[in-house]
Amino acid sequence: MYDPTITTRKRITSAVWALVVNAIFWIVIPYYVGVFLAGRVPESALTVPTFVYEFGILFTILEVGAAFFQGKAVAVPLISAVALLTVVYIWYATNGGVLGVETAGITIAVSFRLMLYVLVLPSIWAAIRAPLSYMVWRRAIKTAVSSAPAASPVS
Amino acid sequence: MGIWALRGVTVAVALVVLLVIGTVAYSAYEDYNAVKAELVGGSKQAVGAAVLRGSMEMVSINITVPNDGLYPLNVTLTCNYPTSNVVCQRTSVDVSPGGEGVLRFLMTVSNVSQFENSGNRMINGTVAISMTPFVGLTVGTDFGGFVKTGGA
Repeated sequence: MYDPTITTRKRITSAVWALVVNAIFWIVIPYYVGVFLAGRVPESALTVPTFVYEFGILFTILEVGAAFFQGKAVAVPLISAVALLTVVYIWYATNGGVLGVETAGITIAVSFRLMLYVLVLPSIWAAIRAPLSYMVWRRAIKTAVSSAPAASPVS
Repeated sequence: MGIWALRGVTVAVALVVLLVIGTVAYSAYEDYNAVKAELVGGSKQAVGAAVLRGSMEMVSINITVPNDGLYPLNVTLTCNYPTSNVVCQRTSVDVSPGGEGVLRFLMTVSNVSQFENSGNRMINGTVAISMTPFVGLTVGTDFGGFVKTGGA
């Protein structure tokens, strides 16, 4: 994961790839979903909320940065930031685990706060794992260097 | 050693999430099917009765709630009305996995003609179904339809 020997060419390729994938996922797909919903149910208030695009821009910036700086220490906070942003996004999108709808005099509310904690658990762990794996990698490098045999003097 | 520990935690977290989502989805599906079967064509269908005694009407509903899921189920019925003319008995039943419980709901309208003539015939009722501890569903609807207007 933390390989400092990655070439600049590969970094740029990864960053461009991350940009394309995120643009499709966060901009193209929501846009066409919005067009589809507007076409199928023109009278309804079903639209793709603006915050999806706002979060998408943030996700794209962080993902592209993490891809570009992969193998370097600066990628660690970016990876953690993506994971934490995922937690915030899930929390925001699900209204903190309480969703409700009102139609024809009937109010339906679903509450799944504890379930939400479980759902964000992998993202929280990913945010913690990024610096931990970097520290583990650094320790492994130090151990390998200190245990390597010293070069024999040229006679 | 360190990297394997991290991978172990990652796998454990993934397993916990999959386990919880899987069991909750399975329980919701089983509970929905069981309740639907009971209410639509089961042997213990929901039994409702509206009895008029003078100017007072009593509405009672008995519902058998089966739980074929993996989590305990709690079903609660409540309602509220702006005046004391309509009194609801808040009722709740806890059903353990594999078991079934009976929900007995009683609503009393002390003066039916006053209820009929009042501008507000809507009794705000709430049905709360909770798959303890993960998911809860609350449905708010009008219980006024249970009251037989114009006499029994």
